[in-house]
Amino acid sequence: MRRWRVASRAGLPRGEGPWPWLAAGSLALSLLMLAALLLLLAGRGLGHFWPAPVELVTLDDGRQLAGQRVREERRQTLQGSPLRERLYRTGNRDLEGDAWRWVPVASIATHEHPADWAVIERQRWGELIVRPLALEENGRRLTEAPLWESFTARLARVQALRVERDALRRQVIAPLARHLAAGHEDAEAQARLAEARARVGELQAAMARDALVVESAAGERLSVPLEEMVAAWRPNAMSPLQKLAAWGANLWHFLSEGPRAANTAGGVWPAIFGTVLMVLLMSVLVTPFGVLAAVYLHEVAPQGRLTGWVRIAVRNLAGVPSIVYGVFGLGVFVYGIGGRLDEWFFADSLPSPTFGTGGLLWASLTLALLTLPVVIVATEEGLARIPAQQREAALALGATRAEMLRRVVLPMALPAMLTGVILAIARAAGEVAPLMLVGVAKLAPQVPLDGDFPYLHLERKFMHLGYHVFDVGFHSGDVEAALPLVYATALLLVGVILVLNLTAILLRHHLRMRHARLRSR
Amino acid sequence: MSETLLSRASGARPAVIEIPAAASCLAIDDLSLRYAGQSALEGLSLRIPRHAVTAFIGPSGCGKSTLLRALNRLHDLNDEVTQSGRVLLEGEDIHGPGVAVAQLRRRVGMVFQTPNPFPMSIYENVAFGLRLQAPLKKRRRDEIIEWALVSAALWDEVKDRLHDSAWTLSGGQQQRLVIARTLAVQPEVLLLDEPASALDPISSLKIEELIRNLKSRLSVILVTHNMQQAARVSDYTAFLEGGELVEYAATDDLFTNPRLARTEDYITGRMS
Amino acid sequence: MDITSDTHSQHISRQFNQELEELKTHLMAMGGLVEQQIQEAVSALLEGDSRLAERVRDNDKAVNDMQLKIDDECTRVLARRQPAASDLRLVLAVIRATSDLERIGDEASKIARNALSLIEASQGAKGVVEVRHISEHVRKMLRDALTAFARFDIELALEVVHEDDSVDSEYASAMRSLMTFMMEDPRSISPILNVMWILRALERIGDHANNLAEYVVYLVKGLDIRHVDPEELDEAAIKR
Repeated sequence: MRRWRVASRAGLPRGEGPWPWLAAGSLALSLLMLAALLLLLAGRGLGHFWPAPVELVTLDDGRQLAGQRVREERRQTLQGSPLRERLYRTGNRDLEGDAWRWVPVASIATHEHPADWAVIERQRWGELIVRPLALEENGRRLTEAPLWESFTARLARVQALRVERDALRRQVIAPLARHLAAGHEDAEAQARLAEARARVGELQAAMARDALVVESAAGERLSVPLEEMVAAWRPNAMSPLQKLAAWGANLWHFLSEGPRAANTAGGVWPAIFGTVLMVLLMSVLVTPFGVLAAVYLHEVAPQGRLTGWVRIAVRNLAGVPSIVYGVFGLGVFVYGIGGRLDEWFFADSLPSPTFGTGGLLWASLTLALLTLPVVIVATEEGLARIPAQQREAALALGATRAEMLRRVVLPMALPAMLTGVILAIARAAGEVAPLMLVGVAKLAPQVPLDGDFPYLHLERKFMHLGYHVFDVGFHSGDVEAALPLVYATALLLVGVILVLNLTAILLRHHLRMRHARLRSR
Repeated sequence: MSETLLSRASGARPAVIEIPAAASCLAIDDLSLRYAGQSALEGLSLRIPRHAVTAFIGPSGCGKSTLLRALNRLHDLNDEVTQSGRVLLEGEDIHGPGVAVAQLRRRVGMVFQTPNPFPMSIYENVAFGLRLQAPLKKRRRDEIIEWALVSAALWDEVKDRLHDSAWTLSGGQQQRLVIARTLAVQPEVLLLDEPASALDPISSLKIEELIRNLKSRLSVILVTHNMQQAARVSDYTAFLEGGELVEYAATDDLFTNPRLARTEDYITGRMS
Repeated sequence: MDITSDTHSQHISRQFNQELEELKTHLMAMGGLVEQQIQEAVSALLEGDSRLAERVRDNDKAVNDMQLKIDDECTRVLARRQPAASDLRLVLAVIRATSDLERIGDEASKIARNALSLIEASQGAKGVVEVRHISEHVRKMLRDALTAFARFDIELALEVVHEDDSVDSEYASAMRSLMTFMMEDPRSISPILNVMWILRALERIGDHANNLAEYVVYLVKGLDIRHVDPEELDEAAIKR
């Protein structure tokens, strides 16, 4: 009895009623939901890149199909009897018209995992799930053995050639073409351009040399040029370690490449880049404005009724729905200022607009406007926290008000300003609605930062992870293919915001530590 | 028979001692100050002796800090303060048309109750005032900073870590750093607003020792609610109550034999 | 400023009031004991009561103990309260006064010892009249000084200061007449020397009473009038 009492006192605060439990329970529930969200995103999103085994299924009517198992569902037949159906990703969209097959579980006679079946990812038409039969070089059947090793070696050669070709196009041909298009009469450049184009032709020819003859589960044979392939693997023949390596490689391609096949395949690199660049640009724009506004409100303006009203207005601006800012950005920045800029500076390219349409600059400005109240409020709080004694000490040493502000007050308020920027980033990186009006694009493989003058292309449309999620999830023809990408992209968006915030938080921490009271020596 | 005895015995000591104009650095002439319509100082007149420590004592709200802040125009910041009367620094009205307030505050330095070093290194704290003035050669600046820290009896404790954050110092060290920072701009008058009230007794004693040593260079005005401290440190003591100057005398006289009952009651801790 | 006898009971700290009050009470008790010692020593001589004289001699230890006790209390007040102004002057005056009272006690036991020698020699001594006269005079001085201390009465204190002069002149004339006796009758030298010692002790008691009175002026006015010729004192200024 006594022991029970002691234990209960330690665990359950007596006399405080249910409130501690209620509070702790709420926190636990929030954490649980957050963890569930991340787990869902991670599981559905990251699992997509794992090389799933290929099943060769024989149905009871003798037909065969090869595919990767996705999921099962319980359905009702028209007669009302229950039916379990299994979804296979079968690929071969160009052969069979659809890349997915629902198969009633009851109708499956056998299924096996033959080691020689391969998954081949192509530039177009999605994946092939086939059995490689033989290699062809310039249309001539080869008898090299072992087939798979020989194939992967040749695929590596094609990929190396492709890298060389792309580099040549990007680094030599494109600048020369621009140079000549600008009206320069330059014989040497023309010669070099012709030479480079010839080389590209050679490379193309070399890439087109090899093809792989494959057979589908339905027994259809075709010859696939290696030139069209992105990657190929035999999931059933892979060791777990190899699968892990393949998973890593797939993930890396997802992160580093541009989208293919109407955003349902390939990577999201332009979207990552666009998101980060837009947020950074937004921070660069909002910080000086917000800080100056806060300094004026708190340090310069006479603290009267008007200042109070302004302050209330600023705080209320934070509550305006973001789409309203989008409309404002569209009306004022895009059509108003952008249209005027086009008339004055880019008249020769009208009627196609330069700044008169949504773009990186307008999107950043709109979001800067959206997050301005956050920065102002946070900075003002920081300014208010600086003790009057610090200000008086500076004045008593003969500083003017301006010197006091610049040398004592602003450096001390720096962490608070960064807090404002952190909050602004957190808000801005997650906003999608206003961006749809002022500059985000469904597909903009050209990132707004490149080697061409003026390097940062503020007028370009850009891709955004948030919008990418929306677009892939709801506007793509192939929902089954898009769904894992939606999860992966959403996870990535969370990750990007986390990294941006962490960077700012670490910067603030560094600033704080520089003058921390208890510095470990 | 000694002269002091005669003058004391004859009751000649006035309630407010008359410091000769030639021996005084600051003259306060009929100074009144109203804060948001309420009277904070009423017609104060006294002279502060040069190269001496003068203490202002009095109960909370008696106006001693208000008076101190009037001496380097810190009230300028506050629109609700209205002031009449004059304060003369070496004969010159500090509110005169030709006086730049920043320049005045360099001549009349001030140290506050809680140590308030800036969030910078020890070196930069002391250099702060210097950097506001005409640029100096680094060697010359280093010399002044060392001199200021030596004068504030802090040099030996910080000479090996001048570039550490000033917030790594103890409270007492911070206060001495703040004094060094003020000394670096070489003021003529040093105003101390309860400089030791936030410190432990040993740190307080170090500050007091420092104050006594400083008076060979400048005139010190000390506001304190610690009467023992005023008695230990100061040469002259002014007792203020309710915004009025009650008694102003040599500290020896004020603390052994105050002239007025109000003073006596305050310094002996009696109800009045 | 002037202080009055109840000045020391108005502190915000009641404990402090009590401590200062006790200092005064104990000083008065010590003064009473010392006064009694003088009175008994002189009666022992006048009445030839050797037992009384012995008691006076032995009581001196009680006086010394009281001095130690009061000094101890003063030290405590100084250390704990750091008194200022009139409080400081009170403590200082009490310390000085106990020292003088202790000396008076010593003088009283000196009188008792000399009285004992005279009683043992059973000689009707010359100069007894002078002893009676001067002793009454100094006892009044001591009483007045203590009263002045208790009441913070400067006028009474100043009277004591002036009284001391007349004691001194009485002492001088008594000495002269005793010298004459000694020259007339050499056999009386020994007892007369005893009487002269007693007179000398009484004169010292007068000086100490005078000191006590001066402390009263210091206590009340903050003026130190020791080593000032009473003739030169500007009494009007002091009393003002």
